[in-house]
Amino acid sequence: MFEVIGMVPTSGMSPLDEAREELLREASFDAEVTGREKAREESGPARTLLVFSVGAEMYAVDLVHVRKVLRPARIARVSGASPEVLGLMNCQGEVLCVLDLRKVLSPGKETVPPRATEGKFIVVVQHGGKEAGFLVDAVRDVAELPASSVHPVLDSIDPSRARLFEGTVASGGQFVGLLSPSACLNP
Amino acid sequence: MTTGSVELLLVDDGAALRGYDCRDVVRVEEIAGDPGGYLVRLGRLGSPREVACSGVLGSVALSAREIRPVPEVLRERITGEKPWAVGLTQRGIYLLY
Repeated sequence: MFEVIGMVPTSGMSPLDEAREELLREASFDAEVTGREKAREESGPARTLLVFSVGAEMYAVDLVHVRKVLRPARIARVSGASPEVLGLMNCQGEVLCVLDLRKVLSPGKETVPPRATEGKFIVVVQHGGKEAGFLVDAVRDVAELPASSVHPVLDSIDPSRARLFEGTVASGGQFVGLLSPSACLNP
Repeated sequence: MTTGSVELLLVDDGAALRGYDCRDVVRVEEIAGDPGGYLVRLGRLGSPREVACSGVLGSVALSAREIRPVPEVLRERITGEKPWAVGLTQRGIYLLY
């Protein structure tokens, strides 16, 4: 028997065991990272979505198209505009056209006009040189999902509305309609 | 530095505020039998036209820095007469026709 001077084992583990333990921890961490990367490669790049609600329904838009999220300020009405146009708002010195997402999603359908915008949000979406603010009831989440988790638009969606969607995703145990920014911005 | 400005006649069309270039206004008349109703006759500079409105609010001068282009998304969704610009001031937002 001999004694290693200066190396006092702690918690009953020898220095060799500790070194091995450390190696194993590193190895498992590397494996985890490699596994995540592999999973990402298999499922495609991740997409970050802004999830919000209009009434009882949940919708999302890719965060790359979201310029900002605002609280509604005074909205000036515009005569002669289509029903989905709520009006114009001063957005930090710029004129923002605010659309009622509920009406964009239900064209030609009688919807209850928003009595007040208090407590709601405006999601400012930009795509193809166009920009508009969409009035939504609540902003729920920012979800990062693999691109492979975007499924085709549900068959149950009316074909006239289907063009407004890029697909469907599951978030928080609920189906969420992933909006097409291009279709929502173009009448 | 921009020094241009435009003097607008502000009218209430019943749904929104509209601004018309004062230099284009020929006359403002009360509509007979319609208390509070006015008819704005335009065409001193451009083609003759008339606009019925529910109130004339007066005139306002907008400097070039208070004038913004009409958002494309709105332009595509307006039927009838389209505004040429939007006036953005501390007092409010006006569509300029």
